[in-house]
Amino acid sequence: MAQSTIASGAPREPGVGLLRNILRRKEAYLLLFPSFALVFIFNYYPAASALFHSVFEWNGANVQRFIGLGNFAAMLKDPTLMGSVANLVRLALFSLAVNLTFPLLAGALIFHLRDLRLAYVYRVLFVIPLVVPTMVVLGIWKSIYAPHIGLLNALLKVAGLGHMARPWLGDFKLALYAIMFIGFPWVAGMSTLIYLAGFQAIPSELLDAASIDGAGTWKRFWQVEIPLVMSQIKLIVILTVIGAMQNFSTVMVMTNGGPGTVTMVPGLWLYRNAMYYNKMGYACAIGTALFAITLTLTYLNMRYLRSSVEYTGI
Amino acid sequence: MSKTLKHDLPIHIFLIFAAILTFYPFFFMAMTSFKATPDFQHNFWGLPQWIQLSNYSDAWTRIRGYVINSLVVSTTSAAGVLCIGSISAFVFARFHFPGREVLFLMLLALLMIPGILTLVPAFLLVKNLGLMNTYGALILPYIAGGQIFAIFIMRSFFASLPEELFESARIDGAHTFHLYSKICLPLSKPILVTIAIMNILSTWNDYIWPLVTIADGRLWTISVGIVSFGSQYMGTESWGPMYAGYVLASLPLIVLFIFTMRYFIAGLTSGAIKA
Repeated sequence: MAQSTIASGAPREPGVGLLRNILRRKEAYLLLFPSFALVFIFNYYPAASALFHSVFEWNGANVQRFIGLGNFAAMLKDPTLMGSVANLVRLALFSLAVNLTFPLLAGALIFHLRDLRLAYVYRVLFVIPLVVPTMVVLGIWKSIYAPHIGLLNALLKVAGLGHMARPWLGDFKLALYAIMFIGFPWVAGMSTLIYLAGFQAIPSELLDAASIDGAGTWKRFWQVEIPLVMSQIKLIVILTVIGAMQNFSTVMVMTNGGPGTVTMVPGLWLYRNAMYYNKMGYACAIGTALFAITLTLTYLNMRYLRSSVEYTGI
Repeated sequence: MSKTLKHDLPIHIFLIFAAILTFYPFFFMAMTSFKATPDFQHNFWGLPQWIQLSNYSDAWTRIRGYVINSLVVSTTSAAGVLCIGSISAFVFARFHFPGREVLFLMLLALLMIPGILTLVPAFLLVKNLGLMNTYGALILPYIAGGQIFAIFIMRSFFASLPEELFESARIDGAHTFHLYSKICLPLSKPILVTIAIMNILSTWNDYIWPLVTIADGRLWTISVGIVSFGSQYMGTESWGPMYAGYVLASLPLIVLFIFTMRYFIAGLTSGAIKA
């Protein structure tokens, strides 16, 4: 397929053919121009600018002074940033643990249903929450955690545990855990769909063979199904890590990093340094560091996490 | 009890329990959105005693502008992504020219660059271009960024179309543009719809970028608008209008979902293609 070209169908005349080819190629470049113009202006230029300005003291306008690795040195001495990194690690690890269990279990259970019609119903059901805008979901969770009339506090009162009621998002000790718990029970999401797609792609003769060999459900799950969805697991790990590194809108909307800075994450701290304190160079340095870490983790994941066992047929 | 049900029953119990936990907050939202404030205060868990439709009219007058802005921005961006992206994908899939692989890799490499890295310079760029407080501040970067993954997906789809179709059209004297518009696009409708939906979903949900580039509240998209709207009610006890606003903000995507369910699910799992 890759060999086919637009030119291949046209009759080739010696001499004119070359000129015609160049003209045809010109057409290709011309047609690609809009894509590349946009990408250079809005993606490549800002990325290059961020890397470049990470070694500058920069306010985005008139002040631009080269300070070498000064921003990175300042980052190491910035207690808020270091606290935010600790939060990021906790949030990322928790998110990983969640995404590797609850949706995997849900996907496996839906896959194991014998009634395929109902399996489809569950799949559609667990997609619906994804259609609700993220900010509406966060709004609902804010009302779950609300101090006086929140659902969680109301529920505790009903259960006779009223003394445990508190302003969850304003609690120094619990605010970060409250953020972690958003989305509970974590079964309605992309991850479930991705796992389910992985399970459904397993050739049925493999599962039948395992059953004929006397493997019970449990053994079949661990020794046949899980190795065959390793690619999906790997994908979820990458997506979760990248998501955790980048996403700061959740924290921003829920607690804005507070109370104090106990729920601060690096992305939000970057945003604040740029937008409130005008420290654009420092913000670019934080962005550069996050970029480098993301890239490293993605590489490690691709390099060291096993892909699905290849099934090549008989 | 049938054999199937006997086998499935424990699974159903677990999944239904998970579904109840997942959906109860949404159910609570929908239920409370019809309650008047005193009804909400005294009848927190119960069904509405009477239907307070004015919650919806109040909320609608306040978020109408945000919904319209989001509709304009999301549909224009999706149209732009489809239009520009499909042309580039067509060129990458069906043309041979020097530098094709290099140019394609240059686009693909951008998938590795996180938005958090480009946020600050992109903000300054948009500011210097004089785009602040315009739809352009959102639409142009959305097209630029959205087309990358779209080109990636569309290229492999276009390349898988049988060459004979193009060949016979060429023999009939069809021009390149006809090959693109009369053969390539009509055969690719499902993938185009999927890409449009993915794109609308991501721009509809984007929060940070409109927050930094649009200061004028009249131009806010729904994500920014609904957060501001919600926070005005959070401290009060009139959650009826707040939840009515949340329901209204969700409706456009829900309608889109109902009409394009199949593509929607395909789009959400298409992340798996990346692997």
